Amino acid sequence: MCSIQEDDQFRLESKSELNTGRVCMKCQNLAVVVIRVNDAFCRECFLKYCTHKFRSAFGKSKLIRDGDAVLVAVSGGQATTALVHLIQEGLSCRAQKKLRFNPTLVYIDEGAVINESREERLKVCSKMAALFKATSFPFHIIPFEKVMKESLRYDSDSSLAGYMESLTLENSLANQLRDLLDSTSSLTAKENLQSILRRRLLISLAEKLSISKVMTGETSTHLASQLLSSISQGRGKHVSDEMSFSDGRNQAVMFVRPLREFSSKETALYNRMMSLEPCIQPTLTTKTGLGSSIDRLTQSFVATLQAGFPSTVSTIFRTGEKLSSELDKNKEDDFCIMCQSVLDTDTPESSALSATLFSQKLSSVAVPGEKMCKETSGEENCCGEGDGSCKSTNKTGSLDKEDLLPLSCYGCRLILREMSSTTCIPGNIIQEAEKRIRRSAMKSSIQGYLLEDE
Amino acid sequence: MPVKCGLCDKSAILKRPKTGDALCKECFYFAFEEEIHKTIIDAKLFSRGEKVAIGASGGKDSTVLAYVLKVLNERYDYGLDLFLLSVDEGITGYRDDSLETVKRNQQQYSLPLKIVSYEELYGWTMDAIVKQVGLKNNCTFCGVFRRQALDRGAMLLNVNKIVTGHNADDIAETVIMNVLRGDIARLRRCTAITTGMEGTLPRCKPFKYTYEKEIVMYAYFKKLDYFSTECIYSPLAFRGHARTYIKDLEAIRPSSIIDIIHSGESLSIKKDVKMPTQGLCTRCQYISSHPVCKACVLLEGLNKGLPKLGIGKPHKIRKQAAEEESRKATQSQIDSVEGVHNHDNPSDSNIQGACKSCNCTKATLVDGLETKKMEGQIESNKTRTSILTNSTTKDIDF
Repeated sequence: MCSIQEDDQFRLESKSELNTGRVCMKCQNLAVVVIRVNDAFCRECFLKYCTHKFRSAFGKSKLIRDGDAVLVAVSGGQATTALVHLIQEGLSCRAQKKLRFNPTLVYIDEGAVINESREERLKVCSKMAALFKATSFPFHIIPFEKVMKESLRYDSDSSLAGYMESLTLENSLANQLRDLLDSTSSLTAKENLQSILRRRLLISLAEKLSISKVMTGETSTHLASQLLSSISQGRGKHVSDEMSFSDGRNQAVMFVRPLREFSSKETALYNRMMSLEPCIQPTLTTKTGLGSSIDRLTQSFVATLQAGFPSTVSTIFRTGEKLSSELDKNKEDDFCIMCQSVLDTDTPESSALSATLFSQKLSSVAVPGEKMCKETSGEENCCGEGDGSCKSTNKTGSLDKEDLLPLSCYGCRLILREMSSTTCIPGNIIQEAEKRIRRSAMKSSIQGYLLEDE
Repeated sequence: MPVKCGLCDKSAILKRPKTGDALCKECFYFAFEEEIHKTIIDAKLFSRGEKVAIGASGGKDSTVLAYVLKVLNERYDYGLDLFLLSVDEGITGYRDDSLETVKRNQQQYSLPLKIVSYEELYGWTMDAIVKQVGLKNNCTFCGVFRRQALDRGAMLLNVNKIVTGHNADDIAETVIMNVLRGDIARLRRCTAITTGMEGTLPRCKPFKYTYEKEIVMYAYFKKLDYFSTECIYSPLAFRGHARTYIKDLEAIRPSSIIDIIHSGESLSIKKDVKMPTQGLCTRCQYISSHPVCKACVLLEGLNKGLPKLGIGKPHKIRKQAAEEESRKATQSQIDSVEGVHNHDNPSDSNIQGACKSCNCTKATLVDGLETKKMEGQIESNKTRTSILTNSTTKDIDF
């Protein structure tokens, strides 16, 4: 392995003192912001720079066509506040070259995750609703706990009165959601689970509205720390999907990240100059220490490095761009049932995965890793006739951890292992798992007659 | 109430850092050794009858590695010939002490020991290098030189493989480092258990999946004799950040270290990304991704009194040096008119005793000290090359 020699040619610019009275690098007017060490901008040039960067993201990718319906996921934070405004500006007739897609805004009310009271949640929702109304785009506000429903039944009633009613109705769902999150022992797993579920909710909402694209507001700063955090959670394989402009892990709904070239500083400056008020919500890690979760630790790690070495974020970001997550083979059951990413568990004999399983096997008598390598028990239970859709003795919710583990990726296995029970896992994940188990049982029963190994 | 060991009926004495299971001493030894055995078997690291050099620094990793390999070699009859190989960087107060440990290990484990020194290979000790380059960047020299020194020592021992004590923490740290530095080529190969298959000697890391904490634990309970002092010249620099991050991660979720290695193993690189191609150094024939390998560039810098040559951008430094030289040449022409010879920059020609600018023979006398160094250097360069050429022919024989 490489040793200390790596430090060679590793020069980092250090931060220079900020001096006022610099001129804009474009027009020689008095500068008001310094984006990077040497880049000072005046207000007009900075705004132009932002708009240009935003549009060029669309221009380069050519993924968003005229008249496309796009679901814009808004959290109310700095980045998405700027995103909504940039879209608004781009679609307005003032813009030189109009963007031509039809945005629908959505706010997911995640108050249930941190146990906010109904009143608090309503207050935030009405604030978001007011912001959304001002844009005159169609919008939706949905409670996060809806993700626990087997299929999303969403009525187009986006009025607040309707929302209030639904909150009361979904109270049991909120409890289910909390039970699910509480079944994991660490904050890291909770946060990870939350983002997986959020993604699933956005997908099901988009499907319901027959929208095929979801726009999210990740900035380069966010993506850089997410990259490191993903690597630290064993999700190296998915890094590329998690940070590319378009994320096609779900075949029906594509995720697009138009702000990925912006730093979080730039979005904050944009909001300030446009006098936009972000509506920032507390999260699971609010008011916790630096070491409370891997995400939290990584964010502060990247932020600290970035403060000392201004090229940190862009270097991490560019490294991520060089990675790919290409599918070796496109099999139907090659995707994780939890996060829908490509499975990364088909590893050679000598690998971190097998080493971990071996360690667990060795130092405890219970041998937890053993079973997951074996075929699932579905075979004996299914009658083996018809299309295999006859229900086996397995009923919804009766799948245990050992059944789910082989169907999930390395990162999701870490979450599953932490869970005290699997009874809280949303029904649609369990259904998907049962379907996969039945399919593999079917396949193994006809294995001898299949000419080609798919 | 004492906790019971998870495997037997004895009371547990420790909690495994890797899995969190409570174990007794014997069961921990068993698990620790079995895991390394599994790594060796699964990755097919060795084959029967091979000669294997253990890169021994006297530190915890290599001491435990030497011990465990010896145990496993006997227990599972790998049929390996084990050697200890140490590199003497020439750091007073650090390496001389740790080499004492290695020498004791040689006695304790009765394994033959070979020590190669920077001084004999390159003509420079780290002490001398630090004197010239200062405390910044000196690790670059040490790291680059050590890598080659190990290979050259191994060739002298005529072994087939080198094993090093890099543990899971080191590898995870390197993955993070390479992401932070954007070094995509190293990111791809840093998680490989065996490297250098194509060029020189293969190197492997049997501790790839072994936690640093468990290595310390093993050494502690086995009362193994090892040297633990930070290198007196090591500032850790940027790597220190990565190291702290890994330790913090481990505190949050102990499996993080293995998780990072899993991530590293499953990374794939886009096809259109340019990768450096590996070739051979035109000067010393060592494996290199540039026409001249890093060690030769660094060495040239040292010998020419331009230590920055291998550190910054080489062409810039060379340009500066050329300017300097031409300035001096003019100066010396003026000087020679006055009859004074001053040659600060000995080049190849004045080793033969002739001054480049005026063909006088006084050059060697004037620059006696420095020229001597150059000659020594050329000699050691020759030894390096001859070791290499010799061993290449031997390699073919296997």
